[in-house]
Amino acid sequence: MNDFLIILIKTCVIYGGLIGAAALMTLAERKFSAWMQLRYGPNRVGPWGLLQPLADGVKFIFKEELCPDGANPWIFRLAPILSAVPAMLTVAVIPFAGDVTLFGVDCGNLSITDLDIGTLFLVAIGGLSVYGVILGGWASNSKYSLLGGLRASAQMISYELSLIMIILCIVAMTGSLDLRAITESQNTGNPLSWNVFSQPLAFVIFVIATFAETNRHPFDFAECEPELVAGFHTEYSSMKFALFFLGEYCAMIVMACLTTTLFLGGYSVPFWEDAPWFIELGSFCAKAGFFAFLFIWVRWTLPRFRFDQLMHLGWKVFLPLALANLLVTGAVISLA
Amino acid sequence: MVNLLFYAAALVAVLTAAGVVLARNPVVSVVSLLSCFGSLAVIYLLAGFQFLAAIQILVYGGAIMVLFLFVVMLLNLGGLSPEAEDRDDPLFHDRRRSAGGLAVAVALGSASLIGILRGARHLTEPTNGFVLPAEGYDALPALAEAMFTRYSLPFEAASVLLLATTVGVMVLAKRQRSAPPAGEERP
Repeated sequence: MNDFLIILIKTCVIYGGLIGAAALMTLAERKFSAWMQLRYGPNRVGPWGLLQPLADGVKFIFKEELCPDGANPWIFRLAPILSAVPAMLTVAVIPFAGDVTLFGVDCGNLSITDLDIGTLFLVAIGGLSVYGVILGGWASNSKYSLLGGLRASAQMISYELSLIMIILCIVAMTGSLDLRAITESQNTGNPLSWNVFSQPLAFVIFVIATFAETNRHPFDFAECEPELVAGFHTEYSSMKFALFFLGEYCAMIVMACLTTTLFLGGYSVPFWEDAPWFIELGSFCAKAGFFAFLFIWVRWTLPRFRFDQLMHLGWKVFLPLALANLLVTGAVISLA
Repeated sequence: MVNLLFYAAALVAVLTAAGVVLARNPVVSVVSLLSCFGSLAVIYLLAGFQFLAAIQILVYGGAIMVLFLFVVMLLNLGGLSPEAEDRDDPLFHDRRRSAGGLAVAVALGSASLIGILRGARHLTEPTNGFVLPAEGYDALPALAEAMFTRYSLPFEAASVLLLATTVGVMVLAKRQRSAPPAGEERP
């Protein structure tokens, strides 16, 4: 019973944190973009506009829900769910910190579950979110949406390949699919044992591929305002539209967490091997927060690519590089 | 509890599998095939094959079905109007071919049924010299070794089967498009 309670509390805390972080990220996106363009950004609701996401949420709930004429109503309603749920599920395997002891009770490791196949679970479930985009684009019965959905699916499949190849390099180095084992293998107190130093090329490819995988600038061809109105979610209104956005921001946060875990040693603290759990959690949040900020930073700095450039980059540059990286990693491991 | 979950997953698998062939809209077929794969993954999980379940979702759910959906959308099969289905399409209305297809389907179905029934008797005792790995089937090294040595040929054959399916879909769609009804201008 006690174990069950602990797992329940951990699940609530981590999911609450995820949703809260996603809400804060929408605010951060608007604030940072405003600062980069010498504007104020939202500053009316609450101190520094902090309650803006809440106001947005209330507004979304009370907006009218539209289902376009000739759209397939079931698939039209299914798509936002398929977009948001997989992105949220993947956070279940991310290790946020080591052993937690609260009020003298040993609560185990700070993660919902430590699956033996955590990496695979994350990639498999995360890969399902493409259905939200492609089905939403198709079910809207609109040309812009369909084009957006097709582009998104082509893009996500292309970059998922490189992403998986890079993850395989790390898995081969660690010898485990468990994300906690991957973190622990880097948690030696010496930052030089982080995978980013042994796999610099993989790190660069991985970070760029996450931008394409989450449909973010400069690869946001699923939306691409000047050409496709708003892409796959053109026809969506009210909370369904908000669900797409929730999915997108959750996917970004999970990708930031995954990059941290795979390359920056996860929750390991530099020069302090056995740090208490709250220091580890702070270290994890700082690293993941940087990558989350990177998503926003890049969006408001770089112009958009062309779609053929994106495909060229994915298939002719990243995939061969990632394969070569895997080959070299495998050779080094088997020779060493 | 586990039994209940198994029956629920099995029921969903059977219903969605029926939905794949019964749905008129190809996109609905793809979605039901996806849910079928999902419930199969649940069954694998219940049997203790975590790795297989993840791979099922990753490969079939995440890659192959997206490809199918992509092909279906690119060929615009979803736009088949009722008139187009009633059209005298040689592919669907040729009695002889339909009978031939039915015969092949029945033959394949009964062959696999016999295979399952024969296999079910041997389920408890692995025969023909195959030694169970000590860590169980789910251990990665054992699985990798079996897949790349003993079963590499069936493994490759399965991928050829998938390729054949994709080519078959292309051929079907092309036939419909290149045979417009008489009196209609070809685009």
